[in-house]
Amino acid sequence: MKKETTTCKEVMSHICDSLGEDLDSPKCVNIKIHLDSCPTCQKYFDSVESTVHFYKKYDVELDDEGHKRLLSILGLKESDK
Amino acid sequence: MKNTSNKITDEQLIEEAVSGNNNSLAELVKRYEQTIYNFAFKVCRNKDRAEHAMQETFLSMVKSLKQFSGKSKLSTWLYTIVSNHCLMLARSQKKYDYTSLENEDGLINNINIADWKFSPERLADNNELKSILDDAISKLPHDYRVVFILRDVEGLSTKETSEITKLTVPAIKSRLHRARAFLRNELNKTLHA
Repeated sequence: MKKETTTCKEVMSHICDSLGEDLDSPKCVNIKIHLDSCPTCQKYFDSVESTVHFYKKYDVELDDEGHKRLLSILGLKESDK
Repeated sequence: MKNTSNKITDEQLIEEAVSGNNNSLAELVKRYEQTIYNFAFKVCRNKDRAEHAMQETFLSMVKSLKQFSGKSKLSTWLYTIVSNHCLMLARSQKKYDYTSLENEDGLINNINIADWKFSPERLADNNELKSILDDAISKLPHDYRVVFILRDVEGLSTKETSEITKLTVPAIKSRLHRARAFLRNELNKTLHA
């Protein structure tokens, strides 16, 4: 039987496809095996994961003045609930 | 999206607000203003435009709350409205030279693989890093940007993202894949050690 080979490019594409999902299909198992033994793909995986985390951590806060301006535009007073 | 009060549900507040209770309406606004502002900022990458989009979103909510069917979550409805306002704002601004993401082959390459000199933990007080993130995501076409933020940043499901953006599930998956690869490549240009 011909052995299926997984190229780095396939693995990288797969990382972008299924980041954060359960990887249990036979194809995914091959990807995981490749990932464990390939530092290049591991670095790529880490950088895609970091990309998402960078944007997750980049939050801004609505300050009190912004909150007051919003209520004023809507013609509302502070909720007492 | 967090529900900050355990006492009164959104459904109860909506019912009271529709009946004319402004106190309940103000509570709804308070529950969702931070999330909507933050989402608008992540799409617009500008605080003034984000505040404007947030204000327009809540004005739309107040105007149309009676028409809200309750079939979806209030948060899903608000994300839909704010996404549309962000798109309208983007169209009214000077046209940005978005990058085409049609050529998938160019997005994935193993030529430039290196460790990154910054980790997400370094973001808090690093304005240079924030500027790099703003520049990279600003190059993404609007629909790719919204899909990436809804799925990866806000953590919504593919189905919810599809409902909000009116894109099919395969279209969501394709945009997410390309957005991740594109942003990773853009950050790699400046963040590699």
